[in-house]
Amino acid sequence: MSQIKFRNVDKSFNRRRILEGVDISLTAGRCQLLCGRNGAGKSTLLRILAGMERPDHAEVTVDGTLGRWRRARKRLLAECIYLHQQPYLFEGSVRYNLDYPLHGSRAARESRIREGLEWSGLAGIAEQPVHQLSGGERQRVALVRAWLRGPRFMLLDEPTANMDAACRQRTVELLGELKRQGVGLMVATHDPLSFSGLAECTLTLSDGSLSDTGPDSGELPEKVTPIGRRAGGKP
Amino acid sequence: MGSIADSTVQALTLLFGGDPDLWEIIGISFKVSLTAIALATPLAVGIAFLLAFGRFPGRRLLITVFNTLLSFPAVVVGLTFYILLSRQGPLGDWQLLFTQPAMVMGQMALALPILVAMGHSSLQATDRRAWETARTLGAGRLRSMLTLMREARFGLFAALLAGFGRIIAEVGASMMLGGNILHYTRNIPTAIALETSKGEFAQGIALGLVLLVMAFALNGLLQIVQGKGRPVA
Repeated sequence: MSQIKFRNVDKSFNRRRILEGVDISLTAGRCQLLCGRNGAGKSTLLRILAGMERPDHAEVTVDGTLGRWRRARKRLLAECIYLHQQPYLFEGSVRYNLDYPLHGSRAARESRIREGLEWSGLAGIAEQPVHQLSGGERQRVALVRAWLRGPRFMLLDEPTANMDAACRQRTVELLGELKRQGVGLMVATHDPLSFSGLAECTLTLSDGSLSDTGPDSGELPEKVTPIGRRAGGKP
Repeated sequence: MGSIADSTVQALTLLFGGDPDLWEIIGISFKVSLTAIALATPLAVGIAFLLAFGRFPGRRLLITVFNTLLSFPAVVVGLTFYILLSRQGPLGDWQLLFTQPAMVMGQMALALPILVAMGHSSLQATDRRAWETARTLGAGRLRSMLTLMREARFGLFAALLAGFGRIIAEVGASMMLGGNILHYTRNIPTAIALETSKGEFAQGIALGLVLLVMAFALNGLLQIVQGKGRPVA
């Protein structure tokens, strides 16, 4: 099974240790929830996993091959996609945004865009300028745009924050379809219950360390036992 | 008062009557300034990107230098390039003094700080997520840069217009580096200065009107372009 493993991920900002000896894996077709308090480092971890943030230290194994960060970063950027909590849509229409990650002939791209619009139920707003979209629509456009790129792994930062129940339900359904298609998902959330039917496991980030709080538990433990910390730790 | 009215009537006659000398001067002005802005812009955008997103020692100093150069007098730029290009100067062998390329060099030097300072501000103001989104969607560095330029296009366009406005109307550098040679390096500002010194106001007024209309058009264009820009979260 397609997998990317990260071992001993360390990251500090201004001498403040955000992540310390974190071990984590991304697996195709598997959904993992990432929980933790505000400022616990969830976004930083997701950005590292997506190759967008350089860790202070990490050992990355892509499909069984251990590589240096520089080399691994290229693979991560190519195979993972990161969705911001408030997704950024380029100025222009929904169609322009969906076209952005696509390559090939105009006809081929157009066909993919149609496919994406139908998949997400956004066909009615294809020509709409993005500044006219609601928060839920923006999130779905970002999700379809990411899907059109065809990533192996998708890292989502609070994808249902500030959404009403219907939007949240639709987003979770779309994520479920992505998972069925074999995309590995890592979802940072404060609301694990919304994803209870989707996730295989819930990881909790606290004090720089990661703990597995079990399948679908949806609970944040009072006290976490760090796992994956290197013997002896890092200074 | 009467002579001003007469001169203005003459000026309009020259302008709309298609006076070849007058239109040749206008043509030289636009040719030189458009060349200068076309050559300076890619360089300035590159520097602006470096200042906005690069992290290197001396970056803050470089920003301060470009901001200081914004108020660099055109005549001092002219003097500097005059010394460089004069026969005994370090670039004397190029034999460019009193040529259009010399004027282009001077105008590039004048436009560059405006393009860099304003370009840097508008690029710096773009949302950091724009770059990250482009990269995570598979765009390489070059395409991500072009995407960011598209997102910041209104600010960059304003920089372009401001830079062009500065050089099309400057007299100091053009006079010193071009030498005000008829049919070759005489442009709108140097012609106005010369005709005024001769007491021939008609051509000066006609050329002044061209500059005024152009300034009005550029500002109008800027208003239209900026009106179309809206922040996208």
